[in-house]
Amino acid sequence: MIKTFQKCFILFTVALLLSSCKTDRLIDESRIVIGISGDIESLNPLYAFGINEGYITELLFLPLLKHVWNPGKELIEAIPMLAEQWEWKDNKSSIRFFLRDDVKWTDGIICTVEDVIFSFDAYSDPEVGSKLYGSFEVFYIDEKQKIDIEKTFEVISPFEFIIHFKPGTVPSLFNLDFPLIPKHILEKIPRQDIASALFNSAPVTNSAFLLSKWEKNQSIIIKSNPESFLNEPDNIKEIIFKIIPDYTSRLTQLKRGEIDMIEDIKTDDVVELKNLNHLNILPLKGREYEYLGWNNIDPDLYAKNKTISPNKLFGNAAVRRALTLAINREELLEEYLGNYGQIAYSPVTLIFSDAMNSEVVPYPFDLNKAKELLASEGWKDRNNDGILDKNGINFSFILYIPGGNPRREFAATVIRNNLKAAGIDMKVQTVEIGILIENLYGKKLDAWLASWFVSIPIDLKSFWYSDLNITPLNLVSYQNKKVDKILLDIEKSVNEGTRNMLYKEFQKIIHEDEPVTFLYWVDNITAYNGRIKNVVNSPLGIISNCWKWKVE
Amino acid sequence: MSKHIKIWHMILLLSLLLITTRFSLIYESVVLFTKFFLLLFKDFTWAFNQLNLQLADYFFSTITILLLPVLIIIARNKFRLPQLEVSFPSGTITILTFIFIYAPLITDTNPDFQKNIGVTKLLPPLSRVYMLKLKEPDAAADMKTKFLYQKNKVVKRSFDEQIIFADSLKENDSIIYYQKEKEFHIKRELLQEADGKLFEKRVFLFGTDEYGRDVFTRLIFGARISLFVGFGSVAITLIFGLFLGFLAGYFGGIIDSALNRIADMLMAFPIVFLIILILALFGNSLFAVILVLGYSGWMSLFKIVRSEVISIKNRDYFITAQMLGLPKRNLLFKEIMPVIAAPVLVNLIFQYGNVILAESALSYLGLGTGGMYPSWGAMIDSGQQYLTKAWWMIFPPGFALFITLFAANNIARKLSAYYNPLLKS
Amino acid sequence: MSNEILTLLIKRIAVSFLALFLLVSFLFVLLRISPGNPAQKYISPNFSPELIHQIEKSFNLDKPIITQYKTFLINLSKGELGISYTYRQPVLSVIKEFFPFTLFLFSTAIIIQICLSIILALTAVKRINGKLDKFLSRFTLMLYSTPSFVIGVLLIYIFAEKLGLLPTSGLKSFGIEKLPLHLQLADYINHLILPLATITLGGIAVYYKYLRENLENIYDQTFVLNLRAHGYSEKTITLKHVLPNAVNPLISVAGVEIGMLFSGALITEVIFGLPGMGRLTVQAILSRDFPLVIGCAFTAGVFVIISNLAADLLKAKIDKRLAKGMLN
Repeated sequence: MIKTFQKCFILFTVALLLSSCKTDRLIDESRIVIGISGDIESLNPLYAFGINEGYITELLFLPLLKHVWNPGKELIEAIPMLAEQWEWKDNKSSIRFFLRDDVKWTDGIICTVEDVIFSFDAYSDPEVGSKLYGSFEVFYIDEKQKIDIEKTFEVISPFEFIIHFKPGTVPSLFNLDFPLIPKHILEKIPRQDIASALFNSAPVTNSAFLLSKWEKNQSIIIKSNPESFLNEPDNIKEIIFKIIPDYTSRLTQLKRGEIDMIEDIKTDDVVELKNLNHLNILPLKGREYEYLGWNNIDPDLYAKNKTISPNKLFGNAAVRRALTLAINREELLEEYLGNYGQIAYSPVTLIFSDAMNSEVVPYPFDLNKAKELLASEGWKDRNNDGILDKNGINFSFILYIPGGNPRREFAATVIRNNLKAAGIDMKVQTVEIGILIENLYGKKLDAWLASWFVSIPIDLKSFWYSDLNITPLNLVSYQNKKVDKILLDIEKSVNEGTRNMLYKEFQKIIHEDEPVTFLYWVDNITAYNGRIKNVVNSPLGIISNCWKWKVE
Repeated sequence: MSKHIKIWHMILLLSLLLITTRFSLIYESVVLFTKFFLLLFKDFTWAFNQLNLQLADYFFSTITILLLPVLIIIARNKFRLPQLEVSFPSGTITILTFIFIYAPLITDTNPDFQKNIGVTKLLPPLSRVYMLKLKEPDAAADMKTKFLYQKNKVVKRSFDEQIIFADSLKENDSIIYYQKEKEFHIKRELLQEADGKLFEKRVFLFGTDEYGRDVFTRLIFGARISLFVGFGSVAITLIFGLFLGFLAGYFGGIIDSALNRIADMLMAFPIVFLIILILALFGNSLFAVILVLGYSGWMSLFKIVRSEVISIKNRDYFITAQMLGLPKRNLLFKEIMPVIAAPVLVNLIFQYGNVILAESALSYLGLGTGGMYPSWGAMIDSGQQYLTKAWWMIFPPGFALFITLFAANNIARKLSAYYNPLLKS
Repeated sequence: MSNEILTLLIKRIAVSFLALFLLVSFLFVLLRISPGNPAQKYISPNFSPELIHQIEKSFNLDKPIITQYKTFLINLSKGELGISYTYRQPVLSVIKEFFPFTLFLFSTAIIIQICLSIILALTAVKRINGKLDKFLSRFTLMLYSTPSFVIGVLLIYIFAEKLGLLPTSGLKSFGIEKLPLHLQLADYINHLILPLATITLGGIAVYYKYLRENLENIYDQTFVLNLRAHGYSEKTITLKHVLPNAVNPLISVAGVEIGMLFSGALITEVIFGLPGMGRLTVQAILSRDFPLVIGCAFTAGVFVIISNLAADLLKAKIDKRLAKGMLN
């Protein structure tokens, strides 16, 4: 009997192994599988806080208009979506929209101006707490930042309406580019319960795709919506977002053709992927820069009674410049990023070449100059312990980096050695991202390594404006009167040319002050299977207009 | 054959081997120590400020390695331990302890040393690259500068501006060297001459990692971190387990049943999540990892101690002694220690294995001691990303971890079979 | 007698649940005093302080801990564990989606482990201290000493990357709904081979060690000699008498092991991207989804209590004398 038992077991194992050869037939040519690292949380655009949620909800729900990258002209332009056309009125104080009359929600109801108004109402409602709450300054809003519907909207017909903006503001089409939601479903739900409504996992949609299936922690499957005007006969029929937490697994599956596209590829792997004929590589430039945050103010005094006084180590612009000089950014860029990136020297993204100041050149790696500069500021090794000191304080600090990010660990390791050569003692401490965020907001840290994902259009005021009460994201507490003026002028300017002039001026001052050490712009490298055609390398995200993709 | 080799033979062999192969370093270190000693008399505060952990580490290992052969010969018959025969587990433990103490002498680089990443990164084992050394500025006659000069010679730093690595090299009027196809020129007189040559070849025994750091060096220093984490947390487990076990067994009643229930619950609860939770929410540093891992293992030890205390408390002689008015606590302590020593030891060794395993698993989840210390777990973790390109990054630490665990589990099993005759056949 | 056992049983369950309740309360406080804000997952200009305040309010986090704890207790008494911050669904319904898979994966792994170790141990004790016996002892200990993520990564490297035989992640291929049933099943099995192998290989040492030692001891006992003397065939002796006696103690080991369900499969779930409780819990911790963390801990606790109890009851049923002692 034991023998039989053993035999059965062996047979079973063999059967298992044999059955394994049959997966190939499951690869369907007409659909695309995109590998993502983590599950999404909600399919409701109101709560699409994460990047992948943003992409997916934008494929399911139509906005009034959509900003896309025009690779020919190298600029961003708005294309009609739900709105067929629009016209600005009276020097941008209002805008008139003409909607399509053939857009239906997946439950058959026609999408009208009612849905548009409801969306603006819901997005700005504090009870809802949507991802855009608090960002409707150009509209008439009440003290709770909710849009005043009466004053804002003027309905002409179910498919035609006018939006009146708050006088004195400079509205742009970016303020109107977000996915709209169905009124007839969501108006039945009390506002504070929308966050946990069934709608969030089984939505009623109206765009190029509709949800086919969402299996938690496994996959999100969307298929093309036959009713949608965006849909052309030979476009892709189905997209699967497959959740694969392990990077190596994602890569292996891409190589084997099990999945068709992944983002955030490590540069080490690019060479290998390039050698595979079926894969294409797309580096997406200029959306993310890495920086070393130097707290410009003293964290202890700020924590005590919000006093602003210069940081003992990093309060001086010359010292910060010296730190930048001491760091070998070229080596990092070359060895870790494999030159998939550019040296950064200001927060203005390289995408907009007209806004770049050509007079500003990045600081080179020059250890001797850094040492000289530090010495001239009084930082010398007086007690021969190998570390610079001034007024009895050693130049010694902890750099905090978020855990689980190999790129930052790499940079931190190299930077630690770079600075040690300059006589600066830097320790590196990995912390969990949640703790890091809390400490950054509290301005409790001296130094950290992080990156900013820059928004389009360029938003500088949220990060560099002096008033710390209204700019919580000015994490380094950088303060400069001249910069403040420039930032306010940018906000008011309507003219592209003057705005670019102001951007250039801003870069010059930032480069001198070096409030943070800008390291480099990091390319987001996407690899995809060559059978997908029509992929556009858009700085707004490669997946963002994937309904136009075709499959061979 | 192996029956004749004893632990002290092995220690003697290892120490002599180290002294002969690393003679120049040990010599320089002795010189450094002498200079330091002289400076202590001349300018005490200055010299004392120079003394940091790293320097002390070098002093300690230099002095002990020179004394070790003599000491071991003198002491070999006084203790039982050196007389044990070398087997796989005991040999492994000896080597590990040796590495633990003499890490700075065994390797000749700093574990964090990296330079010219482009040339040195991800080199396979036994790779050789050209190494050029720039001339040091002339040391002044001042005693302090001489000391500092000597210190830089002995104590390895994680950076060195005097060193340049190159892929290939041409000797001309000047030296031409290449880094990733880029050409550089350097004048001959700027270079330090060693054995009549202007350059030498640096060999990476186990290859290099993604930063161009020497895997062998990191492995050696990693032994320190990994063993430190293991011992540290086992010590914490021991303290918690003994203390709570005594408390529960001695007092009984509510304290006993409460502690017992908590232990039951924690034993059954997937403790990994508690560890992850604490490390994730309160930050993960080396000491946090040690503390949390140590704390999470007290339950089984607690059970052993508690049951032994209770059983002794109820024995006749103990009760008699108590009635005679002998101090209860001392008696208990005296009685109980020999009884629980064996099972506690076995438990601790198992615990040690678990801790090292858990540390590496935590590193995998990004919650380990952090990439800044070369622990074996962290090395495996970073090597895992380069598995297909650089197997040598993951194999040596993986093997070291495995050998250590295997030895620990082996000893624990043997001990438990020895002390527990029921299991012995 | 049975009444006495029943009282003991109830007492034990009550005490266990009290301990669980204390543990969960401890977690509740721990989560709330820890740094980090569940409402603050990203830093971005979109996350205005007003929005964060709104989110906090919707999570009930703006109230003092005592009030939050009261709400938690009231909910708990109604059998509710709150609403997950990330999934924005009741915690129980989230757990319901993940739990069956982990249960299936882990219990399958345990069954395979037991079966394999029975086969191995029976083969090994045929020649005690023979070459095979020694090899197996060492080999299982070696596997036990290898971190499971190393096993997993190696298996992927060999079977998926080099040989291209098996899939590396996920639970099934897409679009298998169109296939006939047996192929669907084959696809599922395909995806589970490597994860199951990863869990099984690491844990097999535990069962093997117990079983081998038990078998060895039992073969030495007099009743086996008796049976042999009575002329029973070796096969009958092994199957009918030795094996049942040897396997009994495994039940309690399995009871404890299955209690480790959540953590035991964690690394495997991460490596192979499987939708299980281990990954869910870690994600919940990292995203500070307080209700879900508590929910996972609670489920784990309940499961542990039940599985240990079931194992003990099973043992008690086999050997009545043990009943009282164990229930204490």
